[in-house]
Amino acid sequence: MSAIMMWAPILIPLAGGLLVLPMRGKSGLREIVALLATLANLVVAIANFNSVGTWTGQWVGHGLDIVLLNYQFSAFILAAAASFALLVCLFCFRFMREKTSANQFFAYMLISLAMVDGAVLADHLVTLLFFWEGLLITLMGMIAIGRPGAFKTAVKAFVIVGISDLCLMFGMAMAGLASGTLVMSKMHLPVTDAFNALAFVLMMIGAIAKAGSMPFHSWIPDAAVDAPLPFMAILPASLEKLAGIYLLSRISLDLFQLTPESWLSPLLMIIGAVTILLAVMMALIQKDYKKLLSYHAISQVGYMVLGIGTALPVGIIGGIFHMINHAMYKSCLFLTGGAVEKQAGTTDLAKLGGLARKMPITFACFFVAACSISGVPPFNGFFSKELLYDAALDRHFIFYIAALGGSFLTAASFLKLGHAAYFGKRSSEHDNVREAPITMLLPMLVIAAACIFFGVHNSWPLRNLIQPVLGARLEGHDFAGWPHSMRLVWLTVAVLAGAIMNHIAGATVYGSGINAVDHIHYAPLLKPIYEQAERRAFDPYEIMLDVAAFIARGAWSVDRAIDWVYNRLAVGAAMLGSTFLKLLHTGDYALYVAWALAGAAIVVWYMVS
Amino acid sequence: MRSQNLLLLVIVLAPVLGSLLLPLTGAVSARLRNALAILLVLAAVVGSALLVPDAMAGRTQTFRADFGLGINFALKADALAVFMALASSLISAIILIYSTGYIAHYANQNEYYLMVVLFLGAMMGLVYSANLILLYVFWEITAICSWRLIGFFREPMQVLRADKAFLVTVFGALAMLLGFVMLGSQQGSFDMPSAPISVALPAAILILLGILSKSATLPFHTWLPDAGVAPSPVTALLHAAVLVKIGVYVYARLFVVSYIPPEGFATLVMAVAATSALVSAGAALLEHDMKRIIAYSTISQIGFIFLGLAAGNELGLAGALIYILAHGFAKGGLFLCAGIIEHGTHTKDIRQMGGLLKTMPVTAIVFLFCAFSVMGVPPLGGFFGKYMVISAAINSGHLVLGLVFLLGAFLTVLYLLRLFNMVFLGESRGLAGPEGTPVMVGSVVVLAALALASGLAIYWPALLANQAASQMLGIAR
Repeated sequence: MSAIMMWAPILIPLAGGLLVLPMRGKSGLREIVALLATLANLVVAIANFNSVGTWTGQWVGHGLDIVLLNYQFSAFILAAAASFALLVCLFCFRFMREKTSANQFFAYMLISLAMVDGAVLADHLVTLLFFWEGLLITLMGMIAIGRPGAFKTAVKAFVIVGISDLCLMFGMAMAGLASGTLVMSKMHLPVTDAFNALAFVLMMIGAIAKAGSMPFHSWIPDAAVDAPLPFMAILPASLEKLAGIYLLSRISLDLFQLTPESWLSPLLMIIGAVTILLAVMMALIQKDYKKLLSYHAISQVGYMVLGIGTALPVGIIGGIFHMINHAMYKSCLFLTGGAVEKQAGTTDLAKLGGLARKMPITFACFFVAACSISGVPPFNGFFSKELLYDAALDRHFIFYIAALGGSFLTAASFLKLGHAAYFGKRSSEHDNVREAPITMLLPMLVIAAACIFFGVHNSWPLRNLIQPVLGARLEGHDFAGWPHSMRLVWLTVAVLAGAIMNHIAGATVYGSGINAVDHIHYAPLLKPIYEQAERRAFDPYEIMLDVAAFIARGAWSVDRAIDWVYNRLAVGAAMLGSTFLKLLHTGDYALYVAWALAGAAIVVWYMVS
Repeated sequence: MRSQNLLLLVIVLAPVLGSLLLPLTGAVSARLRNALAILLVLAAVVGSALLVPDAMAGRTQTFRADFGLGINFALKADALAVFMALASSLISAIILIYSTGYIAHYANQNEYYLMVVLFLGAMMGLVYSANLILLYVFWEITAICSWRLIGFFREPMQVLRADKAFLVTVFGALAMLLGFVMLGSQQGSFDMPSAPISVALPAAILILLGILSKSATLPFHTWLPDAGVAPSPVTALLHAAVLVKIGVYVYARLFVVSYIPPEGFATLVMAVAATSALVSAGAALLEHDMKRIIAYSTISQIGFIFLGLAAGNELGLAGALIYILAHGFAKGGLFLCAGIIEHGTHTKDIRQMGGLLKTMPVTAIVFLFCAFSVMGVPPLGGFFGKYMVISAAINSGHLVLGLVFLLGAFLTVLYLLRLFNMVFLGESRGLAGPEGTPVMVGSVVVLAALALASGLAIYWPALLANQAASQMLGIAR
């Protein structure tokens, strides 16, 4: 593999981004440049798909080199990232047209793509970290150009991701010491001792924080409101999930040898299960199209983390399959949200309704993606979830219950969303709403079709993309085709039927789709908890800021105490000393002679003894 | 003995002696004086740059004049000295160019330029000196210069703060001199030994007191935030280029290159640095004065540099040098941006600011990039420094101390973003300053560009830093 082809996935989007950045006008040139760059990137990704190659360059010395490796897993992620970037770019062609900051958006998006590509190609921890943390600036920029006041969310995102990246850095340094190399493909650390386990946990924090798992999630719902919508489709929904879960898989499979016996496996599974449940509980009560989706972007990560955390082949395969499936249906869902926002002018569910007739193609895409995320057979999400159920049940039934409960609530919240936005009463404001333009529909249609293809024909992605990742650890299993346990399938179907009945009952009682889950929202025990959560009482970011403020106050008092020593104590002591000395200077000649003689006596005594 | 290298003499004496001409030139023409001042500093930059090829090849340049009675004027340029001198003088030159815009409206400009150029000259002398007494003399010249520069505005508050800085650093310097005397009587001469020799604990502690007070490290740090009353280019000079870097340089020069400190000494230094990094980062999060926040940040970052040096392995030493360079660019940029803001809004209280992004867009972006570098965000230079020193600490077996620094790094992200937020974002609170003059804005843009370049083109500075690190440890390449 030539060096040019190796570097092309990084350099093409980077160059495109830098080219677009100064293009302020609305000539459409920036859209074309962005589109060409993402297209070229996809062509390169496809051309590189089956090749294996490495590239090594000297960098900082001390073994801190640039090492790139293109192999099956990275090529798979690169191709996926390239596809999403192209489709979102196409979507933005019209969506961002009137926005003055579109040049910044395209530039940051392309540079983010370059950084993700670099991180995925990296075969050296410091190279990885360089690209990984390189996402920070563009992440901040993309959110900040949203609606006025979005900078607060941008800062929040930067702080959360930045701090987790620092954890990743620390963990990398530890892992580098433990294994004696920073080259990723040469690292195979056991996680049996405390040092390696700490390194694993720190690196894992970096990975799952990028993916948006709890407790590093809380910027995502804020960004859904503040940032431009395509941002949600490209970063939190697809690129960051791909990168985060890619790294988590690499950490668990290659860099460290995570085994089901290790305590780290249940740790990951608990993080996953908690993320699934808490995030979907929040998603359920949202009254905004984008915000509802954003909580699902968190909740679904829980499934992937849970799957990889099982450390079983079926779980890991399920986790990675769910990652790619999620990137598809979630970016599709966000794009439908974008189409609704663009055409109807709002994403507030209370103001929407009856859009299915006005925007039938958008609705069709929404329907496919919503079925996928809810795990309805035969869409793609169903198959990855079944694998995850299988793995979870194998470890402990409690994890299975959590995953299944998450599915119930997911289905319930999408029934609510679909009902509220696409059916129900039509508000008169939206009489003139029309179907989105073709450049916006096309990306949705492509992804929706892929959701069906990856479901109906799941043997293709599983056998060609995902199962090779595990290699020999697959132990001859083949997870393609219909789930092997019909019992679990029936349980899934029962849960989905339960969700539908729950929705019908709720919608009938409360009279509208948007209020269909009010019996859960306002349930006796849940109501106060929900109120607290809406007031951000449980936001880990706020808690972290409180802790930082506590540390700061402690530090501040130490600092002031030290300063007091200089400003008051030292000055006071000097004044006291001089006052005392002044008292001795009485002007009495005889006294001075006496002092002099006493001093001389001491000197003589010292010299004699 | 090696051949005399007169270039070394030029690098040191041009600014030191040339600075004395500045008040005279100033009497003739202000422009001529400014040009001469810049020229003198550029002489140090170019001279040090010319030494790079020799330094890279591992050749040490010397100059020596003996005056009898063991007193001599001995200069030595190894890779460490060249790296440090180049970083300091380059940043100083940019700050000086900025000064021509900033200081133009104030009285006593002759004194200003004299002190700044003398300051840099003394720094060059200190960096290149091969003799403890010579080092001490230059050390005290910098103390005098900083005293005058901090108290430049001559108000009672400024004078008080200048006295505080002077007293704290001179107290440390006297302790250090005592340590030097003990070293001198131990080895029979004040020349730095060519091969490292052991030093007893009392002497090491005394010298450390001097280093910590100069580098504003806990518990000798509070003079540095107080010194924020100085004109902004001066604070930039103190923080980024000259003053606080003296301490870390002398630590590297004495305790890594020339002397072997006693067992446990390096761990002690790391622990002090960790406390310092954490306490000052916490204080920065609560402070309301823009310049004091950046000053606390410097104290905190100095802790990271000490961490790398005290870790003592090649990675740590090279990392500390890269850290010094990256921090110099970034912190210089931050202070000069603060100067532009202060110039425009006439306040340093961030509670009164907000929304300045609209009126000062370039300054805002420069500020943000410099802040990114201090936080250690790639592709800026600070990223590499931070990774290398923390990694070096872990490699040297100080995991817990490393974790303290990790906490310090978290706080760094928080306080810098808080500062950026309160100054540039949000709603304006009635204060709206104009962008700085082209010279001032141009200078900060150059610093931000250098902060970026020191990361993107890390390969080249790393070559020299690595050469310095291996030379410091006596590893032949």
